[in-house]
Amino acid sequence: MTPRIVAANLVVRFRMFRREYSAMFFTIAFPVVLVLVFGAIFTRPENMNFDLAVQDLDDSAQSRQLVDALAADGVFRTTPAPPDVDAVRYAQDHKRNLVLIIPRGYGEMHSLRLATGDPTASVAMSYIYDPSSTSVATKLQYLDSFVAAANQRLSGTPPFITMTKRSILDKQYRFIEFFVPGIIAMAVMTSCLSGALNMNAELRQKGILRKLATTPITSSDWLLSNILYQLALAVISTTMILLVSFAVFDVRLRIDGWLLLFIVLEVFAFVGIGMMLTPIAKEAESATAAANAILFPMMFLSGTFFPVEMMPGFLQTVAKVIPLYYINEGLRASMIFIDHMDAARHAAIIAGVAAAVFVIGARVTRWGRES
Amino acid sequence: MNKHTMTDSNDHAIEVEGLSKRYGDLVAVNNISFTVQKGEVFAFLGPNGAGKTTTVEIINTVRGPTSGSVRVLGMDVVKQRRDIIPRIGVMPQAFASFDRITVRESVQYYSRLFGRKDIDIDGLIELTNLTDKRDAQFRSLSGGLKQRLGIAIAMVNDPEVIFLDEPTTGLDPRARRAVWDILLGLKNRGKAVFLTTHYMEEAELLADTVAIIFRGAIVATGSPDALIERNANHLDVLLKSVDDRALDTIRRLGFEPIHDANGRVRFQVKDAGEVHTLLGAIIAAGATPSGLDVRKPNLEEVFLSLTGEGLHDTTPAAGCAT
Repeated sequence: MTPRIVAANLVVRFRMFRREYSAMFFTIAFPVVLVLVFGAIFTRPENMNFDLAVQDLDDSAQSRQLVDALAADGVFRTTPAPPDVDAVRYAQDHKRNLVLIIPRGYGEMHSLRLATGDPTASVAMSYIYDPSSTSVATKLQYLDSFVAAANQRLSGTPPFITMTKRSILDKQYRFIEFFVPGIIAMAVMTSCLSGALNMNAELRQKGILRKLATTPITSSDWLLSNILYQLALAVISTTMILLVSFAVFDVRLRIDGWLLLFIVLEVFAFVGIGMMLTPIAKEAESATAAANAILFPMMFLSGTFFPVEMMPGFLQTVAKVIPLYYINEGLRASMIFIDHMDAARHAAIIAGVAAAVFVIGARVTRWGRES
Repeated sequence: MNKHTMTDSNDHAIEVEGLSKRYGDLVAVNNISFTVQKGEVFAFLGPNGAGKTTTVEIINTVRGPTSGSVRVLGMDVVKQRRDIIPRIGVMPQAFASFDRITVRESVQYYSRLFGRKDIDIDGLIELTNLTDKRDAQFRSLSGGLKQRLGIAIAMVNDPEVIFLDEPTTGLDPRARRAVWDILLGLKNRGKAVFLTTHYMEEAELLADTVAIIFRGAIVATGSPDALIERNANHLDVLLKSVDDRALDTIRRLGFEPIHDANGRVRFQVKDAGEVHTLLGAIIAAGATPSGLDVRKPNLEEVFLSLTGEGLHDTTPAAGCAT
């Protein structure tokens, strides 16, 4: 291992990085875009505006009040459907997945119930819905709770059961806070794995490895250069992700030695896995395919985008053999839950994996010299 | 006696003895032996697939031999790889550097790998006529410029032996000449140069010694002149147009004229004296020898007479080019 050679490699790698915009995009901009997109989708579900078509067949003061109340809740964005059309037809023609129908006589019954408390004075409201639409179920839940609240108010007595909630965590955390550590782990993994694979395939294909084989560079110089380079990229992309999620979504996560340790371990693990695969993926095309074949299942099965607990039982078992799962869990333990014991447990598992793949990777890197 | 042998082997840049390389059943290099003196340009001439690259890669320590011994500057290529590497410079076949790295940065990078701070990077760039391209990225260079950069990089550690594997393959004639000019400059610097090529012109122009390799074996070694002398010791006579009287005269003198595709008549004579006799006889017969051309045979013909095949029309035989 020669520091001079490692330094020379790093200079060249960073020059190449600076001059290749697509590499820069995937390292820095892509994870930031993911944070922005997912953050925008999931940060404030209370502000989600759902379209709700309302066909007011009654057209009384009371029914109009009801429509206003639906809109005033901030959940629904109501649009009136003309009373003289068939509601099913209307839903189909206007691509509405939910149409609420206020029946004739609603106002009358409402007044009667208010005035006399007569329990037989009731209204049967109906809705037309499209079961194939994914947002309908959520909309119906909101609608149910709206109706329940309206009924409760109309009964004139205070509710019997009220609820207060307490989180098991010290602090309420939002989806975006869960998401950011996952994106950090994913960005570092992608960069290390495809970086190691593509660089090697490119050098081999172009014949640069054949030239390097006639210079004093050794495979340990090469490995160390790769690790340091990927580590620098990982620090850059992690910093970008944390800055953007703080600036845009006010995400405040614990940043301490654990974060650095997990990044270092992840770089070793995935540069190691990349090196293990280089003898298989000799051409640039097969390198990309090999990288994707590993990256995508890892991303989706390891709890990067959603908690592993949301997945079916057997997939949860699968998740537990994926190295990225332990990085995700470890990062969340240290950054969100501030659980040092849990972080240490995951760090130990990743350290074991990293050591194993690194040793195997170093052994299979034959570095252009052939027998 | 002992002392004499020592001096002898000290003058050898490369000693190859009984070298063979097999890939399974395929014999790429079959029991070859030769020596390259310090300061000489040694050309390994042969068609594609003859075993040239395999041999170079064994000598410059990238590949291991199956059997035989190879010494570079007195050191064994298998056991003393680490000691050999800093003292040799290699331009592999189809040399390439990093796409987005400039000429100067590439030379600098390799000089750092060798840890040679004393090397004049700009001097090397000038030597290979790349000064006005020093800030151009590798991907923007033409084939000839890439090869010249490869030569500059091969010299980045001031090596005692330089290996150039097919330095002009795929270049147009102008770019090829430009590379040759640089190689002639190298020759004047007293470096041992090991050159592989399938262009006989290149070997004839640059080499002090030529070894002809065919199907993994060396079929002849010597200076270009000596090889021609030994294997094609005649003159080629060409006549543009001849009438029947002249043709009769030629036949009567015992020569065997053949008509070539361009309507010319071609035959071989032993020496200049025979040319003289022949011309006298033709003129005496009242005919005019027009478009007379007398040529010395070249390495192409040496190759043809040794192998029965042309240098460029052979299909790759045993061995592989990579």
